Amino acid sequence: MLNYSLRRLAFAIPTIFALVIFAFYLMRLAPGGPFTSEKPLPPAVMANVLERYGMDEPLYVQLFTYIKNILCCFDFGPSFSQKDRSVNQIIASGFPVTLTYGFWSAVFVLICGIPLGVIAALRHNSFWDYLMTGLAIFSQIFPNFVLAPIMVLLFTLSWGLLPGGGWNGGQWQYIVMPAIGLGTSYMAGVARLTRGSMLEVLNSPFIRTARAKGLPERTIIWRHALKPALLPTLTYMGPVFVYMITGSVFIDVFFSTGGIGQDFIDGAYSRDYSVLLGLAIIYCVLTLSINLVLDLLYAWIDPKVRDAL
Amino acid sequence: MNTRIALTTLFLTSALTSSAFAATVPDGTNLAENQTFTYRVLDEFSSFDPQVVEDVNGAAVVRDLFEGLYNQDADGNNVPGVALSHTVSADNKTYTFTLRDNAKWSDGKPVTAGDFVYAWQRAVDPKLASPYAWYMELMSIENGAAIIAGEKPITDLGVSAPDDTTLVVQLSQPLPYFDKMVSHATTFPAPKWAIEAHGKEWTRPGNMVSNGAYVLTEHVLKERSARERNNMYWDNANTVLEKVVTLNIGDEAQGLTRWRAGEVDRTEIPAGQYPSLKEEFPAEAYALPRLCNYYFTFNMKSGPEAFQDVRVRKALAYALDRNVITDQVLQGGQFPAYTFTPAATANFAVPGVDYAGMSQADRDAKAKELLAEAGYGPDGEKLSFTYLYNTSESHKQVAIVASQMWKQKLGIEVELANQEWKVFLETRGNQGFEMARGAWCGDYNEASTFLDLMTTPSGYNDGKFSNARVDELMVSAKSSSDTQPLYTEVEQILADEMPVIPVYHYSTNMMLSDAIQGWPINNVEQNWYSKDLYRVAD
Repeated sequence: MLNYSLRRLAFAIPTIFALVIFAFYLMRLAPGGPFTSEKPLPPAVMANVLERYGMDEPLYVQLFTYIKNILCCFDFGPSFSQKDRSVNQIIASGFPVTLTYGFWSAVFVLICGIPLGVIAALRHNSFWDYLMTGLAIFSQIFPNFVLAPIMVLLFTLSWGLLPGGGWNGGQWQYIVMPAIGLGTSYMAGVARLTRGSMLEVLNSPFIRTARAKGLPERTIIWRHALKPALLPTLTYMGPVFVYMITGSVFIDVFFSTGGIGQDFIDGAYSRDYSVLLGLAIIYCVLTLSINLVLDLLYAWIDPKVRDAL
Repeated sequence: MNTRIALTTLFLTSALTSSAFAATVPDGTNLAENQTFTYRVLDEFSSFDPQVVEDVNGAAVVRDLFEGLYNQDADGNNVPGVALSHTVSADNKTYTFTLRDNAKWSDGKPVTAGDFVYAWQRAVDPKLASPYAWYMELMSIENGAAIIAGEKPITDLGVSAPDDTTLVVQLSQPLPYFDKMVSHATTFPAPKWAIEAHGKEWTRPGNMVSNGAYVLTEHVLKERSARERNNMYWDNANTVLEKVVTLNIGDEAQGLTRWRAGEVDRTEIPAGQYPSLKEEFPAEAYALPRLCNYYFTFNMKSGPEAFQDVRVRKALAYALDRNVITDQVLQGGQFPAYTFTPAATANFAVPGVDYAGMSQADRDAKAKELLAEAGYGPDGEKLSFTYLYNTSESHKQVAIVASQMWKQKLGIEVELANQEWKVFLETRGNQGFEMARGAWCGDYNEASTFLDLMTTPSGYNDGKFSNARVDELMVSAKSSSDTQPLYTEVEQILADEMPVIPVYHYSTNMMLSDAIQGWPINNVEQNWYSKDLYRVAD
């Protein structure tokens, strides 16, 4: 398994390089630049600004310098729009926020989604099954840009229970709505996936054998059925988890959390190349590493996969 | 040296009546125990460094943290800041400011003329590469342009400090409104020792040394910032608000929700919601005149052939019913515009251009007549063009209404096109349009900030209008003591030539809690200072 992990890591490096080069050139294809503004800068001022950020150099030199700075000093460059901040500082300020509510959102998804799916599967074709399935479908089609304003209307304006936004150092009151807003539709997805695979597992021969052996139902479900039934959920949760902890643009903007989702959109509008590129790299590294972790988890759960590695 | 002392007297008088530039709390006011003011900002600040800051919200914070030569009062007039008064030489090219001797930095050091010299040199320093170096160029400080271009050392800048309380500024050409420009953030003093000690990190809470009524105490990127009163500030005794907090709220509707929930005291009003909010909160919904205009610009260089004909341009301008746009589409207290310069501009009387005085029916009739004369319209050649605007709901509404008016009244087909902001700026700057949306906010409160756009050399003249007389008038306005006749003539030429169609003049729409008092509602630049505000008890 160590060999496998190393192979995967080795493959990740060219992937990241390809991404950096591709994103670097792609961003510069968009018309307008970080210093395009309603009041165009006089040529002499523009020349100074470009020189200051090394943007007077040919593109390949800029790319080379960028990669060099990352490799030697883990320096992702200065931000163009937040003049006295570096990309490192911006990400260091926003990422913990996104990570925190993304984590709690994932917890919410799993804690609510899995039991919902399991209950629906155990009470197959009963009232409970229909209720759970109905609830799941309802929350899946309910987009967060509808759900979030409704939550604010109820919890903030009508009942005054939760603040309408902000972060305030990550106090729990500020995490609840972003986490639920971000997670609801995934929770539904998890519930439906769990229900489906649970049904399949419950009908498989080894469960029949366990029942025939007279094992108590609780042991059958907890020890034998749940683990294999969670495999599809795990596959599903991998990319979703990356998405969650790198922030939803909508949730970050709507709840003003200060997370990095906001930087994606601000960076795109202001052509803050270095911020965008830094975020793209983070996203890429996270996706690659979480996929690796998931594959290893698979192997741990499923002996068939373990043998194939 | 021959000096004019009229201005000096004015400032000395106001300096003596100290209540003119601090929170003026009427007797018997029941002040709230918690003197905190919280307001919404749209996005993260560009910087808190006075010489670097670019955005309006950032400049508002910097105005609280630092104090320049002059502040503005509730009406937008200059009142003493660090400077008590100034004198101007006979050739109008040397300004000598007398600074107060009791101004202090937050670390207790005295604020000296040298701090201004350092800051102004810093602003033009190619090494700092401040985008706002252009403002210093606009101020016509001697050698400014050459220093920015890297041709001279920063020490050659025409600003000097003969002693700690005297600042002498040498201009390369007379600039009648120079003193109006020194309340701008770029001109605020800078603490050399703190900047040298911390480098770029000097703007962080704890590192920052500032000389304004407040000091920065908290800054969480994209979330919040807080500033608290500066005990070293020379007029601290008259400051009432203890703490000012900004909350970043990217979504305008969410800003309003949080205002309703009492989380913020001030927020902007989403487009189109002013009338209903005014009805619901008559004392808290504001629409204030603002120093900005909104116009359509013709591409005079490479636009359609028809745009070369002044009759076509005028027909389009006349057929536009501005009242429909302001009263029925935008509904935010905007003002229909027939001149380029807003009426709210200081020392500017709106000239009576001919079409402004006509009824809309007469304007429509005249428009049809002009278009027919030019050979277009129902009986002539069919006219069609593309109107380009930057993607936004309210620009779209204005575009749809205008194009419908032109179609119904003049039979003109207008295709609407929109582009993302920076793409739009690039397209417009390269004359890649036929007709485009334009808007301009004054950099200082004087008509030339608008009318300079219409001169041939202006880098902002995207329609490439060129008129020798306008150029000449605007050059003479720079050194004239009576500018109104000159500006009147420029506006007359613009009305005759119609290189742009003025549509409306902006208003500032905001919800401001009635607990917050002292807001300068008459300041058309909306330059407000927290030290002038106070919070009353419910």
